[in-house]
Amino acid sequence: MSSTSVYPTPINAFKQSKRSVLSVIVDNEPGILARIVGLFSGRGYNIEALNVTVVDVKKNLSRITIETLGEEKVISQIIAQLEKLVPVHSATNLANLSESYEAEICLVKIEFENEEQDQKILNFADIYRSRTVQKRQNIVVYEISGTSERINKFLDDLDTIGGIKVELVRSGPIGLGI
Amino acid sequence: MNNENEFTGADILLKALKDQEVDTIFGYPGGAVLPIYDAIFGQNFLKHVLVRQEAGAVHAAEGYARSSGKVGVLLVTSGPGVTNVVTGLTDALMDSIPIVCISGQVPSHLIGTDAFQECDTTGITRPCTKHNYLVKDVNKLSETIHEAFKIASSGRPGPVLIDIPKDVQFAKSKYISKKDISFREHRIKAGSKNVDNNFVKELVNHIKKSERPIFYVGGGCLNSGHQASQELIKLVNKTNIPITTTLHGLGCFPGEDKSSLGMLGMHGNYEANLAMNKCDLMINVGARFDDRVTGRLDAFSPDSIKFHIDIDQSSINKNVKVNFHTNTDITLTLKEINSFIDSNNIDFGDNDYNNWWGQINEWRKKECLHYEQGDEVIKPQHAISRLYELTKQKDTFVTTEVGQHQMWAAQYYKFSKPNRWITSGGLGTMGFGMPAAVGAQMANPDSLVIDIAGEASFLMNIQEIATAVQYKLPIKIFILNNEYMGMVRQWQELLHGSRYSESYVDALPDFKKLAESFNAVGVRAKNISELDDTINEMISIDRPVIADIWVDKKENCFPMIPSGAAHHEMLLSKYDKENPENQEKGKVLV
Repeated sequence: MSSTSVYPTPINAFKQSKRSVLSVIVDNEPGILARIVGLFSGRGYNIEALNVTVVDVKKNLSRITIETLGEEKVISQIIAQLEKLVPVHSATNLANLSESYEAEICLVKIEFENEEQDQKILNFADIYRSRTVQKRQNIVVYEISGTSERINKFLDDLDTIGGIKVELVRSGPIGLGI
Repeated sequence: MNNENEFTGADILLKALKDQEVDTIFGYPGGAVLPIYDAIFGQNFLKHVLVRQEAGAVHAAEGYARSSGKVGVLLVTSGPGVTNVVTGLTDALMDSIPIVCISGQVPSHLIGTDAFQECDTTGITRPCTKHNYLVKDVNKLSETIHEAFKIASSGRPGPVLIDIPKDVQFAKSKYISKKDISFREHRIKAGSKNVDNNFVKELVNHIKKSERPIFYVGGGCLNSGHQASQELIKLVNKTNIPITTTLHGLGCFPGEDKSSLGMLGMHGNYEANLAMNKCDLMINVGARFDDRVTGRLDAFSPDSIKFHIDIDQSSINKNVKVNFHTNTDITLTLKEINSFIDSNNIDFGDNDYNNWWGQINEWRKKECLHYEQGDEVIKPQHAISRLYELTKQKDTFVTTEVGQHQMWAAQYYKFSKPNRWITSGGLGTMGFGMPAAVGAQMANPDSLVIDIAGEASFLMNIQEIATAVQYKLPIKIFILNNEYMGMVRQWQELLHGSRYSESYVDALPDFKKLAESFNAVGVRAKNISELDDTINEMISIDRPVIADIWVDKKENCFPMIPSGAAHHEMLLSKYDKENPENQEKGKVLV
């Protein structure tokens, strides 16, 4: 049995912030990214991750993937307003689809000092099946992909090795519904 | 190369405007639009109205658009020219008014160099337009202009801006006419053309079953065109359902009709707000559940099934969750509802909602718009009532500024046709009314156009009197002069212990002399005995007139649902006191 808090906590005081990944298909033209970003910044919402790339050269289409934290109601309103933007073809919250797949790619550069560290790094890299991009005497570069959560875990594990220097870049999640 | 099929960017713009059947443009010249002004000089299809400040141009374009149903067009220069129209663009976006703003920009090669009168026009206006363009290639100019007009007037209308660098105005290309352009559907977002038959069937079934139905009609009905209004009148007459309208819905249904409960919302009628609170079926026709209308959301119409017709998908379930909705155009949907009722011989004869009307008539007995007019000082409500009585025989267009006078105008002036009432609702822009009257008079040269104003708002765009005088526009500015920012003073009285911080308008000009100095006419009524004569004199003069009506300085606007309160917690007079708990919550709201 859990004990009762000495301070009563009103449930409504915590607005439910949820992670959402939005996928938006747009005409690839100047200003479109600013239009989209404005819908978030105007509400004081932060974009946690963002990915923009042309996906159809002939039709001049880009797909924009946005990871954000926010109240579900606000996210639905943002999606409705995204769909009103002139260059937007469609906007989808991947969380609302019955089936969708998500991936992220991360490049990690690790500088280490000794054999023991090297072994530990190698061990984690093996567990997470990351690909070696480059290995020099004291430096190794891995490529790891998968869900953001998987990459987070890999980085957390690396963090347990003391005395190494890590530099990294992440693409942010990308996703596709089926 | 000198090809006779090629035209300069400036000429292409003019050709496109002609193609779009634009006959009037409001503007102010400057360095970055000189080539366009040169093109205007050499033509005669387009009447250019020179305003005195760009804010005047954008509100005039709004007034023109609202009163004519056409797209309003304005032309401004780069830098300060365009920053001056930001308020008006936002106003048009909030109130769904179709306007196209053409702005000049510094030459392409100087963009981004902090050139003279340069600003990031598309950046600044992005959140306050429906869409905007920076045209860097003259070959794309024709298409861009035609798409801009299409976007401004399609779906939920709004402002569109086209920024044209000066070198593009000089560069040459072929002109592509409107008929030769095929629009890409996903960009126009015109809304569905197919009526949702299921929605129609459900609605008619619910009308039959309901005991306390109400129509709640907003500006969307106006934007759908005059036919929407006709279909609405038919439907109300057929069903005998009471109807209330928002500030922008006024005129979509005749205000003096027995089925009309008048305006609802913060300063709406007692019977309208109570009927919204107690109804069991709400039929929302092109309204957006604005906070001025709903009051406290958790107490908004708690027992009703809600139907919502709105072309704008993002207005559905935004503030209030509805049971049924459709994104199809209002005219098409109402037409289908009427023909469904007719073709299925559905008779509402047995269901006249007698109990419901009985209840509503009880509420009406409160006479929420009652006021006491004494024998000396003019009550502002009385000034509007008399203005209505003395002008109702004419096809009158009324614009307003923002504040108490605006609410009194909405309450006491009755509109029988759409597009006769032009006011700044969503943004609440003081200084809107007079330039809007200029625009309305340009679109309706033979009609009576009155700006119902407060002295504080009027001072915000006073320079446009000169525009009215120059173009011989006989607009009437009817000032309810109480020497206060009345609505600010009212809120300070209700919420801030009558500490009238900075709401007294000191050092006012003599409006009569001011009119004369502009070569307009000034008239004045200081007390009740002068009121009717002053109004009649104002109407009879075929020139711009400023009527300075001295009204009770301390009068407040009632009924009022204070911020944070619910529909049934309305204050009907200064003797009603607000629930102190609501007052504290309401203080932080707007």
